[in-house]
Amino acid sequence: MVFLFGQVLQAQETDLNVILQTLYSFAFIIYLFYAQKIQTLQMLRQIEVTLRKVKHLKEEARNQTLKTLVEIGKPTGDIAPRVDRFIDFFSIGLESMDPAGIVDKMDHLLKTNKHIYEAEVKTLAPNATPTERNNLENLIEVSQALNIYYKIIRHFYLLGKKTMNIYVIMQVHMILPMLLQMVEAYSSGIQAFQEGMPIGDGVGPIVAAKLMHGYPQRDVAEEIVAADVPYEGRTLIVFKAKGPGGSVGNPDEGLINILKERKGKVKIIITVDAAGKLEGEPVGQVSEGIGAAIGGSGKEKYRMEEITNKYKIPMHAIAIKQGMEHVVAPLVEPLFDATDKAVESVKRIVMDYTEPGDIVVVAGIGNTIGVGQ
Amino acid sequence: MSENKGNAAPAVGLMASWVAYAAILVVGFLSLFSLYMGFINYADSPDIAIVFIFLGAAGFAAIGYMLFRGKPAGVAKQGPLEIKKVEVYTTLECPKCQQKRVRDFKRGDFVFKDDEPCTRCDGLMMVTKIARKKEEEKKKDEPSWL
Repeated sequence: MVFLFGQVLQAQETDLNVILQTLYSFAFIIYLFYAQKIQTLQMLRQIEVTLRKVKHLKEEARNQTLKTLVEIGKPTGDIAPRVDRFIDFFSIGLESMDPAGIVDKMDHLLKTNKHIYEAEVKTLAPNATPTERNNLENLIEVSQALNIYYKIIRHFYLLGKKTMNIYVIMQVHMILPMLLQMVEAYSSGIQAFQEGMPIGDGVGPIVAAKLMHGYPQRDVAEEIVAADVPYEGRTLIVFKAKGPGGSVGNPDEGLINILKERKGKVKIIITVDAAGKLEGEPVGQVSEGIGAAIGGSGKEKYRMEEITNKYKIPMHAIAIKQGMEHVVAPLVEPLFDATDKAVESVKRIVMDYTEPGDIVVVAGIGNTIGVGQ
Repeated sequence: MSENKGNAAPAVGLMASWVAYAAILVVGFLSLFSLYMGFINYADSPDIAIVFIFLGAAGFAAIGYMLFRGKPAGVAKQGPLEIKKVEVYTTLECPKCQQKRVRDFKRGDFVFKDDEPCTRCDGLMMVTKIARKKEEEKKKDEPSWL
């Protein structure tokens, strides 16, 4: 290559060629020594662009939260400093060095967390109804999540800028598209929580509501409502979080109480929940399987598995597939339509796996915002 | 938030993109010139011409890289920096006469809410569906056989 360059210069000794050759040599030397630096700067700029977007979204979320709290809660005085303080609220993760008993500790932590949220929202929005208060709690959670994402991206951006270490910068750069997806998913939930609209995660409660609507209902656990539904000679005990406020309730406690009430004499349990779809799967696809279809901290799943294992009751699962962008966003039509298909799946499983006279528990898992019963 | 600096920040990004475009222009000009030199020298001295053509092609490859790979991953596709507001509708049905009505969602609506008197009979219309209005379908990148 060098030989050929030499030939080029020898063959045409013009000023232009000398300039051209110098420019290329210069570019080559710069690239040789500064390639990684250039790449680092390019990655930093990409992170900066994302950070600017996330900052805007988290500020917008904060402003919308404040506006809604004032609109619905009609507080006296300025609540902005208190909202800002609460948006920065955190809960410290549990120590798992000795994991024995961690589920109970998790339960305690979650209950403390819930209590704090309830108390704060009650102070921030004194005139809100219990349903509105639940929605406002969810709205604040969205603002908190966006604030956390912003702070994490900003941390890596500033650390990367300070150290100019490509490996520090790469850590966040590599997951930037996923982070953006999550931030966008959270931001799309603002409208839903402001207005109290059903969200993608609410498909489980919608299925349960469609089955239990019109039948006498009773509270079986904190924020959990159940109804006995006769179906083809069987009794379906359907339960869901109590709507229409934004709540997921305590479905594990609901199931435990129902099974204790029936002394474990339940033929099967069917859990219906929203599930993340893989790329290529259509939104609203209804899939069937076994196990406890429930997300969250893992505490609920653990307890549901424990109690069903104790009584040796098979657990069937129905998953309604959706993308990350649908989970907290206002419900899209294919997902609402999928709830009818899921109701049919529940009925088919009941017919296939039970006999007349059997008792079946159906759990609609998820956030019941905008869904009554 | 007090740290909001209004419109000052986007100007920096705009300037950076102008620098990138200027670099693309310079590299593009040099590459074009290299290709030109390659073509005019091809008959007399093919060895030299190949070097010019190689340099020109490399320049254009670099431009392609800057244009397509250089855009921030996942950021380039982003629209305006706003929280999306979507149109949501509520479907009401009368359980007595099956009269159906669709209207825009309003705060306080929820699925299975007894909402308003039926316009056809003396029944009470119930909310049976709340969903987002269909948006224009995005062009799918996936091949049809998948």
